[in-house]
Amino acid sequence: MSIINYASREIQFKIVYYGPALCGKTTNLAYIHQRISPQNRGDLVSLATAADRTLFFDFLPLNAVVIKGFVTKFQLYTVPGQVIYNATRQLVLRSVDGMVFVADSQWEKMEENVESFKNLADNLARQNVAIDDMPCVLQYNKRDLPNIAPLNYMEYVLNNRQKRLQSFESVSSTGQNVFATLNAVSQILLHKFSKQNDVPPTTAPTVAIPAGSVVPQTEVAPA
Amino acid sequence: MNAIPVLTIKDVATLDGVLSDFLKKTEADLTVVIDRGGNVISQFGDMTAMDVTIIAALAAGSFAATQELARRIGEVEFNALYHQGNGSHIFMNSVDDETIMITVFGPSTTVGLVRFYSATTGQSVAALLQSLSREGHGFSFEAADVSSGQIFVDPVAQ
Repeated sequence: MSIINYASREIQFKIVYYGPALCGKTTNLAYIHQRISPQNRGDLVSLATAADRTLFFDFLPLNAVVIKGFVTKFQLYTVPGQVIYNATRQLVLRSVDGMVFVADSQWEKMEENVESFKNLADNLARQNVAIDDMPCVLQYNKRDLPNIAPLNYMEYVLNNRQKRLQSFESVSSTGQNVFATLNAVSQILLHKFSKQNDVPPTTAPTVAIPAGSVVPQTEVAPA
Repeated sequence: MNAIPVLTIKDVATLDGVLSDFLKKTEADLTVVIDRGGNVISQFGDMTAMDVTIIAALAAGSFAATQELARRIGEVEFNALYHQGNGSHIFMNSVDDETIMITVFGPSTTVGLVRFYSATTGQSVAALLQSLSREGHGFSFEAADVSSGQIFVDPVAQ
């Protein structure tokens, strides 16, 4: 949970990038780190294996002036995507204020995406947080690859609930929609704490999903 | 509407008093009170040489990671951790279920002294934080005070 320090006039928020292994969570943070001026960010800390796989988490602190009179500190974390590290993911999720779910758009990764999203919902539930109450956006990553599922399929599989999440098609390696995703989750979580509790302006979901559709548990990739 | 817990100027001054007294007694360099999610609650001492935000995130991770190790030997958690360097060291102790206190110190003091005083300081900090949660300060801001433009801007996309 965030806390406000009136003496230093600072507010801190924790945003966690979640998703299956090798979906591009660390690449998102690396791109943000590369583009934001050093006065407004700290170092990117990566606790990774020798093969650059996230072992514990990546961490990037950012500063911004977004609330009149306060310095707002956004602390970006990633979780390790590999299935075996679930205990670590639960630790990183502690006191989380906002989430970005990064999905890998490749057909063969669809089952992992669904599993990871379910794992996120389960881990939030362990903290007595419903995913619908958490400021959260979806990022469909790797849209530059040839073997990707179409957007409406991604929406059908990952965003087919009563409360639809804002979603972005991205290429995190080139930075496409990396900042748009970060800005969206930041605005949603800031408005969560505003007195009017307004929903920030969001683009309408681009894909219509038939009412009563059921999310498929496992889809077979087309040939 | 959701409210964010608040440390008022008076709360911060009281916390600073407790932490300053601790640093004077132990001659440590820096002490930071954090929540277990890695957020900094209060800090006191020489912060020029290090990024306190990063230390807080890593310390929270380190504390959490060793919890499982503690369970293997029948403990709920280790209530204190010590990382020894060549010249600088870090001592971390549990304040309460939600809070950890981190102390960074060098050759001017000893781990024994830091350990000794951190126990009583931790109790004072816990009592103070408990009174805060009882009083239930909360803050929420006007929607108009939130900047409506892009918070973070990618210079390449401009």
